[in-house]
Amino acid sequence: MATEKIYEAWQRKGISRRDFLKAGAIITAALGLSASEVDKVMALLQERHRVPVIWLEFQDCAGCTESIARSQNPTLSSLVLNTLTIEYHETLMAAAGFQAEDNRRRIMQDYRGEYVLVVEGSVPTADDGVYCTIGGHSAEDLLKETAEGAAAIIAVGNCAAYGGIPKAKPNPTGAKGIDEILTDKTVVNIPGCPAIPEAMSNTITHFVVFGELPELDEIGRPLAYYRNTVHDRCLKRPFYEAGKFAESFDDEGYRAGWCLFKLGCKGPTTYNACASLKWNEGTSFPIQAGHPCIGCSQPNFWDQGGFYTAQSAPLMEPSLPMALIAAGVGAAAGAGVTVANRMGKKKDAEPASQEEEKASE
Amino acid sequence: MTTLEMLDFARGEFFYGALLFFIGGMSYRLVQVLGLGWRSDRTAPKKSQPLGVVVSFLRGILILPFIPWVRGTFQRQPIVYIAGGLFHLGLFVVIFFGTAHVMVWRDLLGSVSLGFAWPSLALPLVDLLAAVAIVAMLVLLMYRLTHPVMQKLTGPADMLNWLFVFLPMITGYLLTNQAFLRYEEMFLLHQMTVNIMLIWIPLGRISHFIFYFFSRSIHGSEYAKRGAQV
Repeated sequence: MATEKIYEAWQRKGISRRDFLKAGAIITAALGLSASEVDKVMALLQERHRVPVIWLEFQDCAGCTESIARSQNPTLSSLVLNTLTIEYHETLMAAAGFQAEDNRRRIMQDYRGEYVLVVEGSVPTADDGVYCTIGGHSAEDLLKETAEGAAAIIAVGNCAAYGGIPKAKPNPTGAKGIDEILTDKTVVNIPGCPAIPEAMSNTITHFVVFGELPELDEIGRPLAYYRNTVHDRCLKRPFYEAGKFAESFDDEGYRAGWCLFKLGCKGPTTYNACASLKWNEGTSFPIQAGHPCIGCSQPNFWDQGGFYTAQSAPLMEPSLPMALIAAGVGAAAGAGVTVANRMGKKKDAEPASQEEEKASE
Repeated sequence: MTTLEMLDFARGEFFYGALLFFIGGMSYRLVQVLGLGWRSDRTAPKKSQPLGVVVSFLRGILILPFIPWVRGTFQRQPIVYIAGGLFHLGLFVVIFFGTAHVMVWRDLLGSVSLGFAWPSLALPLVDLLAAVAIVAMLVLLMYRLTHPVMQKLTGPADMLNWLFVFLPMITGYLLTNQAFLRYEEMFLLHQMTVNIMLIWIPLGRISHFIFYFFSRSIHGSEYAKRGAQV
């Protein structure tokens, strides 16, 4: 069953040709394309049909939904939230209970091979998935069932992408990112805690406009938003280069806006667009607001040492008693070998001295 | 296993094991050296032995390196002397005053340092000294490979000594300057080579960076006892 075209839907809502052209230019820019691509995007927008979206939530906090709902780019959020007919979204939809589940199954059936599946939250696998069930079905079963006929699968937030906070040690629910479960499918990961709204909406838009997934890095993130580290684009980078570091959250260096590396900033190994896209209409991002990057777009960020421990520090180190035990074992071995050597030398020397005694007799 | 998982292992379990091996191994070596013993000498000391130790360190670390021309080693092999000196200076500054390393020390010594911490030096200075140390290492390697006497003295262990120090140096330099590989990939190589070096140190001659202080102390004390200059 084909949906109406995007342009038709906008016309029906009374959006003028001028606004449509503006939207095309904004979308082209947001997708990181050059100005010469505007014509292509406009042509595609006129041809493309609205895409139904099924948005599943498992072990999550709905923070990524909050994030995309507060996207400051009205064209894109409107495209994703209104134009793309989000057919199933537990936080946003009015339907509830069996009615909602029936609607999800109807969409899966009617738009098989056409709908986009967006997943927020990790999937518990311990104890037969009893820790997250919806309508009597486990998250894992729901995910596999819904992913089967999806045209594209997008994991938003660190939980869906890599397991996130639910996967933090000791991971009591056996939480996993969805690409660990959907091993035979391509999953686009938009990690973050929450994910940057533009990264989510633009990735969905990319698929809608071009009909294909964007270029991804080796852990499934769109390169357009995850090509560079936060450190690469950080406004405090010159202080890092000059060796000017805040030593505590209330010293002069901190007040002067110096680099937060020593306060635990994980920017050097964190691939995300925070430092360039920023948040809240490009107002700021955590480091600019004075907090070190916690590396929330990286796998297992919750278990990467303390948030306020410098990144270069080891993740595991011997305690003082353990170091003393190692030194003691080494010393005992050294003493043992020394004694054994001396005894060996004495034994070697004894026969010789006996022969000497005999000779002197 | 992804790069990030390997990095977690290198910064976690592997580092933990390598550091314990290093501590145990150095303790083993030290006890063995002490176990060799030395002859008892009952003659009365001609000079103050504690002073002899102090003089020994002052001359060895603070004075002679800065007036090298008084030493025969410098007069005979100035390039080796200068390259060796610059290498040790660069290595010392990088290990103890590079920002990332200062944070490692703070973390490692956290439970025993009672909050004591020293500041790091500016990155450009540390970076320059690291580059100087790397070049010095290459000069020393060329000398070792080309000098006829050094060729005869060089065995596989000497080459491994050089390699296990050079690899952490070059990966650390490239990591700081974010060259060739992604940050976490170079971080992984750096951490792995550091771990390997930690395991190698008790097995080879790099252990002199700790034993130097013992031998310097013993020599200072013994020389003073006999009234000789160190």
